[in-house]
Amino acid sequence: MSPAPAPQPDDAILVVDDIVVRFETTEGTITAVDDVSFKVKPGEFFSVIGPSGCGKSTLFNVIGGLLSHHQGVVSVAGETISGPHKSIGMVFQEESTFPWRTVVDNVAFPLELVGMPKHKRIERARHFIALVGLDGFENRYPGELSGGMRQRVSLARTLASEPKILLMDEPFAALDEQTRLLLGDKVLQIQQQLKQTTLLITHNITEAVQMSDRILVMTYRPGRVKRIVDIDLPRPRTSEVVSSEAFGRYVAKIWADLREEASRGMRDEESHVLHHEGAAS
Amino acid sequence: MTAAALTKHSPWRGLAPAMVGLGVVVAFFLAVELLIQIGVLNRFIIPPPSEIIGSFGRVIVEEQVFSRFLLTLGECLTAGVMLTVFGVAGGVLMHRFKLLQQACETWVAAMASAPIVLMYPLFLVIFGRNVWTIIMMGFVAALPPVILKTIEGISGTRKVLVNVGRSFNLTPAQQFWKILFPAALPTIFVGVRLGLIFALINIVGVEFLINFGGLGQLINELAERYDLAGTYAAICFVILVSVLFFMALEKAERWLRPVD
Amino acid sequence: MAETGRLRQAAVAAPGLSPVMLLRIAIILSMLAVWEFLSHSGWLYRDVVPSLLAIGSALAELFASADYYFHLSVTAAEIGTALAIGGLAGVAVGILLGANQFMSKAFESYLYYLGPTPKIIFFPIMIMWFGVGPESKIALGTFSCFFPVALNVAAGMRQIDKVLIRVGKSFRANSWQMVVKIYLPAMRHPIINGIRLGLGVALIGTLLAETKLSNKGIGFLIIQAYSIFDMPRMYAMLIVLFVLAIGANALVGRFGGLHDIKRL
Repeated sequence: MSPAPAPQPDDAILVVDDIVVRFETTEGTITAVDDVSFKVKPGEFFSVIGPSGCGKSTLFNVIGGLLSHHQGVVSVAGETISGPHKSIGMVFQEESTFPWRTVVDNVAFPLELVGMPKHKRIERARHFIALVGLDGFENRYPGELSGGMRQRVSLARTLASEPKILLMDEPFAALDEQTRLLLGDKVLQIQQQLKQTTLLITHNITEAVQMSDRILVMTYRPGRVKRIVDIDLPRPRTSEVVSSEAFGRYVAKIWADLREEASRGMRDEESHVLHHEGAAS
Repeated sequence: MTAAALTKHSPWRGLAPAMVGLGVVVAFFLAVELLIQIGVLNRFIIPPPSEIIGSFGRVIVEEQVFSRFLLTLGECLTAGVMLTVFGVAGGVLMHRFKLLQQACETWVAAMASAPIVLMYPLFLVIFGRNVWTIIMMGFVAALPPVILKTIEGISGTRKVLVNVGRSFNLTPAQQFWKILFPAALPTIFVGVRLGLIFALINIVGVEFLINFGGLGQLINELAERYDLAGTYAAICFVILVSVLFFMALEKAERWLRPVD
Repeated sequence: MAETGRLRQAAVAAPGLSPVMLLRIAIILSMLAVWEFLSHSGWLYRDVVPSLLAIGSALAELFASADYYFHLSVTAAEIGTALAIGGLAGVAVGILLGANQFMSKAFESYLYYLGPTPKIIFFPIMIMWFGVGPESKIALGTFSCFFPVALNVAAGMRQIDKVLIRVGKSFRANSWQMVVKIYLPAMRHPIINGIRLGLGVALIGTLLAETKLSNKGIGFLIIQAYSIFDMPRMYAMLIVLFVLAIGANALVGRFGGLHDIKRL
């Protein structure tokens, strides 16, 4: 199936156009994502934030090409996505390193799949391992590393495939706060260095404001675009910037939007449990 | 919205897959029937399925299938009770006396992989040519998994539960009966189930080999008489017994362990 | 300080004699003593419990005879072939069933309920189809070990961490790459356990078939010894067989990186 040319607006590298995702469940048809559209510019750090149940993970799967049962079009540099695309690299929320491979073999995995010769891919892998700050750990197994280090391996693995767009689904959710902050700094540093277009799905407002150029706030289910906020703060986002008044204002503004949606979500969950016996998640 | 509600929706609820499975099996037998009738397959090696089904009635009436079935079942149940009692007791003992466990657990595990059934000539000589040989073989071969799983279950009790007991100053006996044993029951059940499987396999197998007893012997006899259709029919009966036995086992398990 | 000094001295004086070791030796020695006592007591029919000396010399005879090794190799070849064919088929079918929920719901219960059926009852059929030579034994062994491998692999497929599959798909791995680089390594524990179980039942199936109808192999030798009531020889062969079976099992487990043979 040849990629159909999608509408070419400005200089966007990722165009998400009118995505609607519905699921058939035991309780009827659920609309997870409704009419979501946005564009991401090259080199931009774009975050999607929303309450639990807003469909952001569904959106992640749609953009990543892992979910094709949807309406609307996603295109990267003009090409429509119809499955996992070589221009999109995904980093998942859960532990995703292969426990039976060493760090270097994990990172070299995407290169192995496309048949890159061994010495070349080991070299390339080492480069990205050093980039995430894990040099010296090439021959360790994931089981010997901490959770934060394993997420770095997953990140290096995805970066090694040199995607045009880095797509991350709450990659720091399973980590403790301090590790999360440090890793966030690292990711930001790498992103700026590589000028990597990045789409981050998160529920953490401070994280989103600190790292992003723009933030999309989603509504509770059905997930729609509530607001897209331009984060006009200087880079690098030092601790000075983070503790500035402007930063605080952005956080407050987004929280105001999010709070409304999160409350709706909470009430909905409660009534769901009340009315459906045994259906609690 | 719960992820559970989303994933609970399986596209394959309902009878579709079961029907397809059954359909394929039936189609297979029809194909075999056809191939035999047109002469591609040798009917003296593979009797036509129609003939096999036809011999069911004969086998039931003439060969007293039900009394044989009861005999095999009785052997299994006896062995089953024995292995439950001695297996669980053995496991408890080994857990209680750590030294014993450290010395013997690997031996028991090794016995689980040893072909004990091959010692049937020996059992024959010791117990004579009667049901006890068969029952003892089933019992001995099935003992290791029960013992091992009992040990695993009791030692695997979550530390925090043990600490709860100690915080209430329970005596060792109380600790065992009120906390360790109930917590170990699911795993013990798995062990007993495994043991019963081993017992059934060994019992029917030995019946077949020594040509004595219930259903196993029936197959052997029919085979020796070159009654092909009858042999196949008898095999079907044994499969039926095996299926019923384990379905019943599952029901019993679910009844005894409703919360899981 | 003096305590540890004395303890260290004691350890040096009697290396390897931990309480566990002592208990094991005690158990073995007492079992051997009971055996020898029964052997000479005349309580059981003569020669059912031959003296240890008799068994020992039968063992020596066994190891000295070239004939024995020939039969051993016949049996080993039968079991090896059965495991290879049945194992590969089992892995392939297991992957198919585990990967596809429809196939699993359609066909897996047949395997599940057929599995615990004693396969030796199919031996007359195997003889009719494959003759009285090694082929029928291999066929029975293959049929026996197919089931535990297939069922273990199918269950193993379903237990693979789903995120690992998504990683593979996100990097656009093709089906072959998914199987070889993700499914199989992720399932190495269930596969090894399935093979150990398969080895066990293939061993039993092949040997029982040999005792039933054969003129070669260890099973044949055992039943031959029994028929002439040469009990010491029969015991000797059973001992060697058990040691080999347990050893093979441990080897497979070790090969799979599982050092804990206590786990069933």
